[in-house]
Amino acid sequence: MELSTDIVRIVSALSTWWWMILGLMFLLYIALDGADLGAGIFALFSKDEDERGAIMASMAGFWDGNETWLVVAGGVLFGAFPLVYGSAFNFLMIPLMLALWGIISRAIAFEFHIHARSSKRIWGWAFALGSLTAPFFAGVSLGAVLQGFPMKSGIAMQGIADRGFTTPVMHYSGGAMDFLTPFSIWTGVGAVIAAGLAGGLFLCARFLPGDVIHERAKSWTNWFSFLALGAIVITLVWSYAIFPWAAAKWTGPNWWIWAIWFVIVLFFAFKSMTNHSMQHDFTALLWGEGVVVLLWAAMWATMFPYIVPGTWTVHAASNPANSMAVFTLFMTGFVPVMIMYNWYQIWVFRGRFTKKSAYGAH
Amino acid sequence: MVIENSLPVLLSRLDFAWITSMHILWTPLTIGMSWLLFFMELAWLKSGDERWYKLNRFFEKIFIINFGAGVATGVTMEMAFGILYGPFSQAVGPFFGNILGFETITAFMYEAGFIGLMVFGWGKISKGMHLFATFNVGLSSSLSAMWILVANSWMQTPNGVVLKDGLFQVTNWWHAIINDNFVWGFPHMWVATVELALFLMASVSAWFILKNRNAELFTKMLKPTILALLVVTPLQIYIGDSAGQDVARTQPTSLAAMEGHFHTYLPDGKPNTDWNLIAIPDVEAGKNLFAIQIPHVLSLLETHTWNGVVTGMDQFPVNERPDVWVPFYAFRAMVGIGFLLFFVAIWGNMLRVRGKFTATELRKHPWFLRAVTFSGFLPFLAIWTGWWVREIGRQPWVVYGMMRTYEGVSNMSITQEVVWFVGYIIFELVVWAGAWYFFTRVIQKGVDGIAHSDTLFHGHDEDHEASQAGGGHVAPTFAHKPMMHSDR
Repeated sequence: MELSTDIVRIVSALSTWWWMILGLMFLLYIALDGADLGAGIFALFSKDEDERGAIMASMAGFWDGNETWLVVAGGVLFGAFPLVYGSAFNFLMIPLMLALWGIISRAIAFEFHIHARSSKRIWGWAFALGSLTAPFFAGVSLGAVLQGFPMKSGIAMQGIADRGFTTPVMHYSGGAMDFLTPFSIWTGVGAVIAAGLAGGLFLCARFLPGDVIHERAKSWTNWFSFLALGAIVITLVWSYAIFPWAAAKWTGPNWWIWAIWFVIVLFFAFKSMTNHSMQHDFTALLWGEGVVVLLWAAMWATMFPYIVPGTWTVHAASNPANSMAVFTLFMTGFVPVMIMYNWYQIWVFRGRFTKKSAYGAH
Repeated sequence: MVIENSLPVLLSRLDFAWITSMHILWTPLTIGMSWLLFFMELAWLKSGDERWYKLNRFFEKIFIINFGAGVATGVTMEMAFGILYGPFSQAVGPFFGNILGFETITAFMYEAGFIGLMVFGWGKISKGMHLFATFNVGLSSSLSAMWILVANSWMQTPNGVVLKDGLFQVTNWWHAIINDNFVWGFPHMWVATVELALFLMASVSAWFILKNRNAELFTKMLKPTILALLVVTPLQIYIGDSAGQDVARTQPTSLAAMEGHFHTYLPDGKPNTDWNLIAIPDVEAGKNLFAIQIPHVLSLLETHTWNGVVTGMDQFPVNERPDVWVPFYAFRAMVGIGFLLFFVAIWGNMLRVRGKFTATELRKHPWFLRAVTFSGFLPFLAIWTGWWVREIGRQPWVVYGMMRTYEGVSNMSITQEVVWFVGYIIFELVVWAGAWYFFTRVIQKGVDGIAHSDTLFHGHDEDHEASQAGGGHVAPTFAHKPMMHSDR
């Protein structure tokens, strides 16, 4: 076999590998931080600052680690698929900016809320509102990416004379508001519903049965379970209607795999709901997270071989061969290590809370 | 008009400059302080001296507020390359993207994985494990600084790559990673983080002594800090000088801007060796309108010879010259602060040698205490001005000599650029004002409220424990066996 075809095969295998790791990093982010963000949305409806403080305390030891999976996902995207990183983030400037403002509000509220006296309410609200806007605009971004975006080569920036700058690299060429469509707004709402459910399940598992927060989180979770089931069905039908690449895959010769997958999702959701009603709170949280894993894997598989549907394939967007090889050689081994120490950190801070256990001095 | 001076390009630079300038206010303190906290914790465990524990827990409060602000502003940084400089990110992806990927995987996450244990782990994990967590926070944040400096210094001296098919493809990974600018650039930044942390902690300690609050305790803190600064401050001047020579060799336009050095040769054909103390540069005309000059100093500084040739701005076409005003004055501010801090360190050590380092004796030298307190703010300014020199001196290139800044800017309208700028001015100022407000609150509160370390491991009373450490934990329902036993 020719050396060049070998190299092509290796690059394509490595880029597929990093595409899977990228999916895993995003999955860890939505599965872990989704619960923290949802608990923050729950805190929007808290009556007093003690309750918001207790909710913040319940994630104090690991929220930063959870949130950092997003940064790692960004780093993997930049390290393995910079062509997507540089064009998709340009396309998503407005929603990402708004999501980042949410994340900033949340992060500082964690540190300021405990030290504040008269301004406690402000930071309580900054935490809760940041927890709402971050998943909403992240959801909008996801929906927008599923729809793809236009590109051209040459100079990207607006308002200056193009002095013959040439490059074969394709940049984003659409407008600032191209991300905004009915579908992307819907995925934003969907993300808030998903986070809300995860947050409810998390709070149930985190607070002692009988505690005021546990009681409210219980009925919250019941409501959000039905909302989430509805949201899943609406998203699937809507995607089927507007995305030919999705419709082709779901009704293709392997339709039965997708059908079985969907039945498994429903089974996991059912298990989560029954465990929740029996007050097996931690088990309910795990089944619920299982739904997230299954749906995310299905979405990732539906998009393949595209990383941005209709815009970038996994292969076309990946770095040159030697960069992929170096990235693989030096970074793959750290992925299980990262998961291990994060797991340990979460493990140390396991155990149930009560509302009176405020976010103590550290 | 030079394309670089057009409004959209300037705004795109301001957008990025603002978020980086506001981010660098936090991270250096995290990096330097994590090591000092580690040594304080080690001192406590080795000597059993409760005072080290108290000081550690006190400074840890400042550390964690600072860390929170660093995270809040840092997540934006990681995304901003793609948002504001998409075409740049795409082109440099094969190297720069990889390095940023290395940073998030081996450092950013590494730090996040241990910070929770360090801050909230007191009493929940063993003492040894806690010390290990603190050590890891120190190591990971320094690693983070290393990768970021690899990436940035490669933009200054892009070794080991070729520009092919619109991408910077790596031909030699070692040359690209250990590039010319990195060799001195990274030590310069890393030592700056240590110097900043030492001065900030000295500053707080001096304030307490000045106010006669826990003066004995803070004298114990001030003493090793001042001693360490006697090594660190001159070391930083030496490293800075080496970095400067490196810039003279690899980035002549940047050096010319730093020194306001327009003419390589004098009208009579001899090398222009004049060093400008202050100047009024006119970049368009390519000369200084006014300058106070000292002969031979420029050659001495940059080439370490009496009459060495230093390349001036006139060797480069107009559209390859950076602005001079900011690099010239920012550089002078940084160097001035460096020497001033060295002087403070000498002053302190003279007092120390003369046996004045007791709380009562120090209070007889209020001007020294005031000077140290004030010195806590100066390293922030030095770090700011140093980075402005570096980043503005590299213009009009985003990758020096290979890619111009405007070629790397995203597809944005002026409205988008302004919205970003205004929004981040509001958010970053709130972060900054809030953090500094709570710093002062923590300092006002002082150390007296900090419980004895015994309470960490012996609190059986639930209520008591809950009020101690964000606890209130009862036996978890899903985890029956504790994984680690507390070290009693």
